[in-house]
Amino acid sequence: MTAQAAVRFGFRPAIVTLGCMLLAGALAWLLVAPRIGAGVAEGYDVTRMVLLHATLPRLATALIAGAALSLSGALFQQVLRNPLASPTTLGISAGANLALVIALLFFPALLGLGRDLVALAGSAAAAVIVMGLGARRGFSPLSLVLSGLVVSLWCGALAAVLTFLNDRYLVSLFIWGAGSLAQQSWDIPLSLLWKVAVLALLSGLIVRPLSLLELGDGSASALGVRLAQLRFVAIAIAVALAALVTSAVGVIGFIGLVAPIIARLAGARRVPELLLWSSLIGAALLLSADVAVQLAAGAFSDFLPTGAVTAIFGTPVLLLLLRKLKTRHRVIAAPLPARRRLSAAQAAAIGFGALAVAVIVAIFVGRAFDGTWTWLAGDMVREMLSLRMPRVFTALASGAMLAVAGVLLQRLTGNEMASPEVLGISAGATFGLVICIFVAAAPGLGAQLGFAATGAFAVLAVILAFALRSGLSPERVLLAGIALSAMVDAVVGVLASTGDPRALLVLRWMSGSTYNAVGGTAAALGAAALLLVGLALLARRWLDLLPLGPSPASALGVPLKMSRLALFCLAGLLSAVATLGVGPLSFVGLMAPHLAREAGLVRALPQMAGAAVAGGALMVLADWLGRTVVFPYQIPAGLTAALVGAPFLILLLSRRR
Amino acid sequence: MLLRALPVAALLPALPAFAQAAPRVVSLDYGLASTLLGLGVVPAGITDLAGWDKWVVEPRMPAGVADLGTSAEANLEVLAGLKPDFILTTPYLDAQLPRLREFGAVLRLETFKYEGTPILTAAIAATRKLATELGREAEAERFLSGMDAFFADCRQRLAGKALPPVALVNLMDARHARIYGDPGLFHDVLGRIGVHNAWTERSTDWGFQTIAIEELSRIADPDAILIAFDPVPADVMPKLGRSPLWRSLPVAQPGHFFVLPPALMFGMVNEAMRFGRLVTQLLEREA
Repeated sequence: MTAQAAVRFGFRPAIVTLGCMLLAGALAWLLVAPRIGAGVAEGYDVTRMVLLHATLPRLATALIAGAALSLSGALFQQVLRNPLASPTTLGISAGANLALVIALLFFPALLGLGRDLVALAGSAAAAVIVMGLGARRGFSPLSLVLSGLVVSLWCGALAAVLTFLNDRYLVSLFIWGAGSLAQQSWDIPLSLLWKVAVLALLSGLIVRPLSLLELGDGSASALGVRLAQLRFVAIAIAVALAALVTSAVGVIGFIGLVAPIIARLAGARRVPELLLWSSLIGAALLLSADVAVQLAAGAFSDFLPTGAVTAIFGTPVLLLLLRKLKTRHRVIAAPLPARRRLSAAQAAAIGFGALAVAVIVAIFVGRAFDGTWTWLAGDMVREMLSLRMPRVFTALASGAMLAVAGVLLQRLTGNEMASPEVLGISAGATFGLVICIFVAAAPGLGAQLGFAATGAFAVLAVILAFALRSGLSPERVLLAGIALSAMVDAVVGVLASTGDPRALLVLRWMSGSTYNAVGGTAAALGAAALLLVGLALLARRWLDLLPLGPSPASALGVPLKMSRLALFCLAGLLSAVATLGVGPLSFVGLMAPHLAREAGLVRALPQMAGAAVAGGALMVLADWLGRTVVFPYQIPAGLTAALVGAPFLILLLSRRR
Repeated sequence: MLLRALPVAALLPALPAFAQAAPRVVSLDYGLASTLLGLGVVPAGITDLAGWDKWVVEPRMPAGVADLGTSAEANLEVLAGLKPDFILTTPYLDAQLPRLREFGAVLRLETFKYEGTPILTAAIAATRKLATELGREAEAERFLSGMDAFFADCRQRLAGKALPPVALVNLMDARHARIYGDPGLFHDVLGRIGVHNAWTERSTDWGFQTIAIEELSRIADPDAILIAFDPVPADVMPKLGRSPLWRSLPVAQPGHFFVLPPALMFGMVNEAMRFGRLVTQLLEREA
């Protein structure tokens, strides 16, 4: 696609780069000129100090960070042969950010050892996880980016929610997570400069072998390129670049994706060209974005973090790119040869037994007034039951619905990272809530839920409309969804970093608490769960046949378009309703289907039943832990589930190699 | 199984016991909790008790007050056990109102919601309303005239001095700060004690603006002083010390920059007085 584009447009990368630079320069001049003009005042010269030690270092930081991120993105795209790869889409920046947040909150001493090291550890971990998941699917571009964006979403949400729970009045981490380039000295740009320069030199050393890769793996090895080592070195450099930038200024979204794409569209094809022009274009882009943000912020006298703003504008680019990518259907890897497979009866007995134990514990074991653990008894029984049972059953119903939605999506898309969270439905619900909280003066619970539901269904409609044009190609549906999620994440980041107390309400909702459950809503959720899960069970034939691929499925009489539309709608409904119950972040919809498969439930019907039981039990357990462990304070169920579940899921997926 | 939750939950908790003497009150807001103490009522429970000494500090919260967890999610099991007569909330928690009404009479007081009147005026009105509901009008008038006398005393102690304008911030990290302007509780108190706010830009309706540190250079008055309230994150001062910009800011010079103990901007009368006392003591010493 890029070669064609280059021919069509016919302009040279140097000209495009120059154009970007001129734009950035003009914008920067707009920002700097008034300060220089005013700089000849007598006596103490505050304007000059600001120019020298805030404005200029900020411009320099933008240039260096933009270049570093774009170089990182170009390396990723080159070595992974993946036009969607970048520090943002692979979760590298988000991993660094989460590591820094955890260190700052819980192990401040670690930061003494060096922020860069902590960031590097976080982004390396994210890289290992994402690459590990991607390698299992032959580094297919879409799968890799899907895994990356899931990791990115999880890290970003976790960082925000951890901060929020830790301290309601300190929002500095939000600013920093959202990527502010503000500077008050040359410390950061100078230290960033030499580190980035070293890494850029290193990447210069591997330009030649990287170019040989263009000939194809076979020819490259024949010419003496050690492929595995080369890939490792290139990825390590790219990861380090992203980690350093994140450690210095926070997460700057999507620059590393967009700049190499522009370079390629402009006709840069050879590797050295690509790396050079990408870096320069990226530097100019981030500078333009940051100056534009400063000019805009000046106009509104408000605080805008640059990183989140670039993410908001970068997401549509990702969406546009999706339309150009070829996708092909993949069959889920043959069911693992489980070491010990359970019989259906055993699996059912274990599943329902675990669920029953979870429900009983969640209802009857709690903390007394003074904090001691107690079994529910005595004069408060009825009152406590009326408080606990709605929460337990809300968790149960929502967990089951998310799990079944996960099974539907994984079977529809043939992608094991598919889950309701990445469908964008939850993002839509969150966005609806944001609008509600910021538009209505003091919205009640009913209004909040109404807006959330409207948002969820609006996104579902948009995604379906978008995907219908591409024949409902499943991976596009997922990527469109997760791109929307990333955008909503960025919007919430901007809101939260202004410190507006209402943003905290949004974060609280995102953390997925069953706190608001009452008898009526729990019963309604339960009824919806029975109905929708029932419908899903009825669709078992489609779900057994669709994973075989489009041609075999239609040969066996499955109406492709109709069945996909119906199943996507059902998955959308399931996740929308469940999101109202436990928020957008639990990742139970990702975990439960894998648990069911791990238990040997391979066909659609038993897998759905097993996943529903596992998802329900997980959510009930998460809710109970959240209510009791830090009593009288409470950790929301969605967050607990995500915290406990994600590492477990990674373990599960890596074991099944 | 799922549907069985309905009839159980429909049996609402028993009615609150009728209070014999002082009403049992719980507060879901720091400002309202300290106002209760000002009215001579010890709350049965408050939210975020664990953070009281970090953000509010004074008046001390007596022992035996129950912790209700976070204010956004007050622990309903504790709340049910406390059997309060009154539950105090702010508009910020409106979404919780229907739930909270199950556990006692809810008093919703507009303490830091900006609607055209100064925040301190709103806090005083909320104090009177609270006192009326609790039958503590006499205590409220004593409390409020105590405040008037206190501010008048501060004003008088500072009178005749060449008072510099003050800028008020919480430092969030080495690059960003929250600065307090008009409307805002702190701004109103400065007016009462006769001190000018050096930050003349309008804040959001929540009482502050988030700024990058270099924007402090927009403080025009060369005599202005800068007050940062604790908690200041540990790494901030060393980092600022290495910034030439910070070192050259007029408000960062020795004699212009001070760190004071915590004062809560989202507070009411007691927090306003604590803030007024901290600033007055500082200016008496330094001006």
